[in-house]
Amino acid sequence: MSDEFAGMANPQEPNAPLAQWFYQLLSGAQPVASSEQIPVGEDVSLLGTDYHAAFYPAIPNFARALLKQEPELMTHYAPLLFHLIGCPTCHRAYLETYDALRVALADEARPATTALRLSSSASLATTSPKLLVFLCQLLIGQARSVLRQAHREHADEDAWARSLLQQAMQLSRYIMQGALRQRALRDLVEVASLYQISSAGTPGEPGALSYSALVGAGSGARGRTLRRAEMASRPQEQASIDLRAGTLDGSVTQEGEMLILRLVDLDESLRGKFLLISIPLGTLLEPVRWLGGNPYAIRSAGLVGPDGTLITPLGRTDLRLSNPEERNLLETLFKKLDVRSLEA
Amino acid sequence: MPFSAYDLRYHVEESYPALCIYIQHRAQRYLGQLAFDAFEMDQVVGHVIEYLTRIQLLGGGERAPKTALDELSNAQFYTFLNRMVQNKAIDRLRRRRLPMSTTGELEEQGNPDEDNDPLNSVVEPFWGDVPFANPEAAALEAVSQEQLRALLKRCIETLGAAPRQLQAVLQELEDLGAGDLVKEVRADIPIDLDITTVAHLSQHKDHAHKKLRLCLQKNSTNLAVMLAIRLTEYGAESGGTDEWSVPLQTLTQKDLSLREVQTGLQHLTHAGLLNWQGEAVVHLTLAQRKLLTRFYEEE
Repeated sequence: MSDEFAGMANPQEPNAPLAQWFYQLLSGAQPVASSEQIPVGEDVSLLGTDYHAAFYPAIPNFARALLKQEPELMTHYAPLLFHLIGCPTCHRAYLETYDALRVALADEARPATTALRLSSSASLATTSPKLLVFLCQLLIGQARSVLRQAHREHADEDAWARSLLQQAMQLSRYIMQGALRQRALRDLVEVASLYQISSAGTPGEPGALSYSALVGAGSGARGRTLRRAEMASRPQEQASIDLRAGTLDGSVTQEGEMLILRLVDLDESLRGKFLLISIPLGTLLEPVRWLGGNPYAIRSAGLVGPDGTLITPLGRTDLRLSNPEERNLLETLFKKLDVRSLEA
Repeated sequence: MPFSAYDLRYHVEESYPALCIYIQHRAQRYLGQLAFDAFEMDQVVGHVIEYLTRIQLLGGGERAPKTALDELSNAQFYTFLNRMVQNKAIDRLRRRRLPMSTTGELEEQGNPDEDNDPLNSVVEPFWGDVPFANPEAAALEAVSQEQLRALLKRCIETLGAAPRQLQAVLQELEDLGAGDLVKEVRADIPIDLDITTVAHLSQHKDHAHKKLRLCLQKNSTNLAVMLAIRLTEYGAESGGTDEWSVPLQTLTQKDLSLREVQTGLQHLTHAGLLNWQGEAVVHLTLAQRKLLTRFYEEE
């Protein structure tokens, strides 16, 4: 914050000292905001701490109210105006919005010729993966902001956050490079857990073992990227999603519509017991009909074998592991899978 | 495939590719010498995508509140996006201190689009004539405009529950020469404040500033004023009972959501001016009506 009251139109203005005090009052609590935007290609969802969900989305309406000189404008938008005084990021967004909206509203008669020249072949499969990663991270970040804002206001915006996360998951299936998809969804589990805190039916205790999908691996090709053509050419029965918990391996395969979980080398303490399987992201997408109906508590169909192996069905789906995009979606669902013994 | 604000809100999977292509196309035009610099292209494209997500349009669906952009015609929406891209591109060119395209250069390229002319942005101030063009100007406006100054006064008065903090702020204002404001506050607060005996002044001041910031940016403060006016304006007397009633729908008018009305009513109830417990119709006694009138007249 500058001590100099640089923007004052007339320093002789009688209210100038009060205005300076007011400016310092409102800007005093703001951290120094980065003037740089988040570049495409860098991880965004953990950043954006200078994004204020309570104010930023109201900026277009404020700009329009100013342009149209709406009545009660100042009283209605006073909190936003006060916020803009102290928040460089939101103030910058206001300036951009006002300018662009002014031009747009003055431009009612112009036909949208430029838009009509757009290629009709544009699709997510041909969109730059970098831009897909960027949007996925932004949507997940938005979900986090929505949930935090709702928490502050004692409101319930779970459905909204859920919709944002679902869109990120759906978009991510078009990212064929595992490493990029991993980055796109890096914060998904964490943000989904924020949303699930207020939802009923969530697991009450952490799993004894927590598996993660090895994104971009599976189908016996762990650690390397599977190309679309390569995936498509594999026989359905070979397609799999690889899981890992520390040094333990597991996999999800498909038999017809059924998804089958296979865990090996389970600890002796789990052998001869039924397991309770929890898939925290399982409620985010509809296409899987989980056994028992609750993905947070799927009871294993059999006991863990004497050699530490468990093979158990999880649920049915029309999605196919042999289809690259559908496989990506399923893989996202298994970003986290917890198991624990059903017996104390 | 053309897209609209509606498509971006409700069908992001289908419309995002076209949005990216559109922004890239416009960015390439406006970036001039930087058009083939992938980093600069990403800066412009990413900026607009981030903006559309942050205002909760992109992927916002039904849950995110509608904004002014949702109400633009398609032509206006494209003009809006185009201008956003243009401004960001000029910003990048300025950062790199590269000359921007002139009209002549664009004509040589055979460009028929009038809106591609960044010359205006070169000869005019970057943002042109924008109200509250800098935070300092906005602060001056805030303390000069009657309604905004009234909100500041109302928030200072809420410090009455912590007299030392109120005292610290009033002393600050006195020192600034804002005696009028101090007098107005003192007239409303029946607390005997002795401004010569405040210990730990700076600590009280810091606490007071924090409370003031929260109060000023809290939506309920200004909504309460608006609702107080509307309750007294639109209240209909119930047949000689000295009681007035106003349905919530009447209070929303065109510019407030039901939630905003509820927030304002809760604030008034909390301040002891109403007995509203979430009913669809607000009932007022004569005494409450008088209190509400005083409430906003004081504003």
